[in-house]
Amino acid sequence: MSQITLTDVSRAFGKIGVLHDINLDILDGELIVFVGPSGCGKSTLLRLIAGLDRPTGGAIAIDGKDVTTVPAADRGLAMVFQSYALYPHMSVRQNLAFGLENARMARAEIDARIAEAARMLEIAPYLDRRPGQLSGGQRQRVAIGRAIVRNPTAFLLDEPLSNLDAELRISTRAELAALHERLSATMVYVTHDQIEAMTLADRIVVLRAGRIEQIGTPLELYNHPANLFVAGFIGAPRMNLLPVKVAAGGTGRSSLTLDGSAGFEIDGIVSATNGDVTLGLRPHHISLADAGKGDIAARVALVEALGSETIVHTRTSGGQTMLAVVAGQYPVASGDTVDLKFDTSHLHLFDDTGVRIAVS
Amino acid sequence: MGDVRNGIATRAGAMILAPVGWLANVFDAPLRMLQRRTGSNGMAVFFLAPNMLVFGIFVLFPLVINILYSMTGGGALFLGDRTFVGADQYGRLFSCGSYLDPKSCTEDLFWIAVWNTLAFVVLQVAMMVAVALVTALVLNRELRARSFWRAVFFFPVLLSPVVVGLIWRWILQRQGLLNLMVFEAGGTPVNWLVERNWAFTATIMVSVWAHVGFYALILLAGLQAIPKDLYEAAEMDGTRPLRVFWRITLPLLAPNLLVVLVLTLIRAVQIFDEVYVLTGGGPGTSTLFLTQYIYEVGFASMLRNPGLASAASILMGAVLVVLTLIQLGIARRNEQRGKMR
Repeated sequence: MSQITLTDVSRAFGKIGVLHDINLDILDGELIVFVGPSGCGKSTLLRLIAGLDRPTGGAIAIDGKDVTTVPAADRGLAMVFQSYALYPHMSVRQNLAFGLENARMARAEIDARIAEAARMLEIAPYLDRRPGQLSGGQRQRVAIGRAIVRNPTAFLLDEPLSNLDAELRISTRAELAALHERLSATMVYVTHDQIEAMTLADRIVVLRAGRIEQIGTPLELYNHPANLFVAGFIGAPRMNLLPVKVAAGGTGRSSLTLDGSAGFEIDGIVSATNGDVTLGLRPHHISLADAGKGDIAARVALVEALGSETIVHTRTSGGQTMLAVVAGQYPVASGDTVDLKFDTSHLHLFDDTGVRIAVS
Repeated sequence: MGDVRNGIATRAGAMILAPVGWLANVFDAPLRMLQRRTGSNGMAVFFLAPNMLVFGIFVLFPLVINILYSMTGGGALFLGDRTFVGADQYGRLFSCGSYLDPKSCTEDLFWIAVWNTLAFVVLQVAMMVAVALVTALVLNRELRARSFWRAVFFFPVLLSPVVVGLIWRWILQRQGLLNLMVFEAGGTPVNWLVERNWAFTATIMVSVWAHVGFYALILLAGLQAIPKDLYEAAEMDGTRPLRVFWRITLPLLAPNLLVVLVLTLIRAVQIFDEVYVLTGGGPGTSTLFLTQYIYEVGFASMLRNPGLASAASILMGAVLVVLTLIQLGIARRNEQRGKMR
C-alpha cells in the first residue's frame, strides 16, 4: 500500500495552464475522490499521478520516492479507464493476464491471480469471452479485475461508472466501496458526480479551473464549505445562495435582511465589508411553516413529489428562487403562498469574494 | 447573431431551391400518371433503366462479347467474320509440356507473362504492404508538419500512370538522374532498365512508389481508429513497444491490412500502364506481364489474335473475380466484427 504526495504540481499545454500548484497528500489506504466540473483538471491530475503525462512543474512522490519522471509502468499503479480500455481482440482471461505476462510472471502464478480476481468480482463464467460479448457492467468488472491482478500499490479510477446506467451505477458503487474495504488499498477516484464522491470518499478534493478549492471528508465539505463554489457544488439539490445585508443585532447577535425587508437574527457577530454577504442554506434546512410563523413568504413555483420527500421550488417577493426539501408527501401546489422557516443553526455565510465567513 | 445568420441561410437556401421545387412540380403530374399505369415496381424499373442501360452497354455487353471472342479463331475483327473454335483458344493457352517451363508451351509468351506476373505479385504485394505499414506507422506519430508529410506520400497517387512511367524512365535510363548521382558519388553507372534483374526490380519499386500513399492512407485510418486509451492501458501494464505493436496494433489493424492485401493483389495482377511506359516489357520478356501480353496479342502484334487475347483475359478475369469475392467477404466480416465491438 502506498502514500502519494503531490508538491506544487502544475501542468500547462503551451500557454494554457490546466493545473496550478497542486499540493496534496493521499494517505495510505484511503479512497480519495477528485471531483469538479468538466475541464477542472481532475483527469489530468490523475494522468500525472499515473505517469501517462508529465507535470510542467512540481513533484510527485510515492511512498517518499520521487516518481515525477518515472515511467507509468514502474510506478506500481494500476488504472481503470473511463472507457475500460479492454483489448477487444483478447478474451477476458487474456486481458487479465496481459500485464502479468509483460512482467514475465510464472504461468501458475498468473492463473492463480486470475482465478482469485475472477472469484472476487464474479466474472469466472466470462473468462473465455471477448469484451464485445459482455455487458457494460461485466466489462467494468473486468477492467477492475485487470487492475486487481497486478496487485498495485494504488488504484487510479477515472470515472469508472460514467458509462453505466443509473441502476447499475448505484449497485457498482456499493461494490466498489466493498472492494476498497476488502483490499484496504489506496484508491484515487475521479468523478464529476458529487453523489458518487459523497458516498465513496474517505476524503474529497474539490477542483475548479485547475486549483484545489477544498479538501475534506464528505461531511466536512457538506457542513463547512470553504467557499461559494464548494457550497454550490456539494449537496443535492444544490444550496440556496441569497444576497443578504448583515447588521448588528441584539447582544452577541447579528441581523440578516433579505429582499430589503424580511429578516431574522442569528447568534454570533458577523463582520463584513459594507454588510453585504451571501447567505447559504441547504434546501433540507428550510421547512414550510404556518402563515406568519416563517422567516420569509414565497410563492410556490414547482413541486417535485418524490414520495419519500417533496422538493418545493419557490420564488420570494424579491425574485429570489429558493428550494425547500420537506420529508414525506407535503400538500402544496404551484401558485400557493407559503412561509419558509430557516434552520439558522445550519446557515452559511460568504463574503463578497466568496470565502466562508466565520461567525464569532 | 447566430439566429440572424441562420435566418439568412434559410432564406438563401429557399431562394436557391425554389427553381428545383418548381422543376419537381413540373414532373410531379406525369410521374404520378406513370405510377398509376405501371405501379410501384414499374417506377423502380423506370428509375433504374438509365443506369442499367449504361452498365449493359459498357460492362455486360463487352463481357459477353469477350467470352464469344474467346471461342472464335482467326484475325478478323468482326465477330460475324470469325470462325467458331469452341475451347480451342483455352486449349492452346494450356498446351504445355511443363507449366514450369514456358518454352515447352505452345503459347510460351503467355506462360512467361504468367510467371512474371506471379513473381511480380508476390514481391510487389509483400513490399507494398510492408512499406505502406511502415509509412502509416511513421505518419501516425506526433511529427512536425505531419499534414505536409502525409501529402508528400499521397501525392504520387494523384499522378497518371503514364506520367509515373515517364518520370522514372527519365530517372533510371542510362544517362538518367540516378546514374548521374551514382557517377557523382564515384560509383559505376548501371543500365537499370536494360539489365533483366534491375529492370524487374525497377517495375516493383516504381509501382510501390506510385501507389503506396493510397494504401498507407487506408492503414493510417485504421491506426487512428484504434482507441488511444488501449495504448495507455498497455503503458500502465508495462508493455514494451515491440510487444505493443505485435499484440495490440497489428491485431487491431488486421482488418485494414487484409483489405490492403487484397486490393494490392488485385492491382498487382492488373499491372500494365506504368510498366509498359517504363520498360515496354523488356529487356526481352523480363517485365512482360499478363495484361501487356493480352494487349500485345489482341491489338499490337503483327499477327493479332483477338480470340487468344480474349481467352487469356477471361482467365485473368476469373482470378480477379476470386480475389474480389475474397475482398467482399473480408469487408462483410469486418462489418460484423465492428457491430460486435
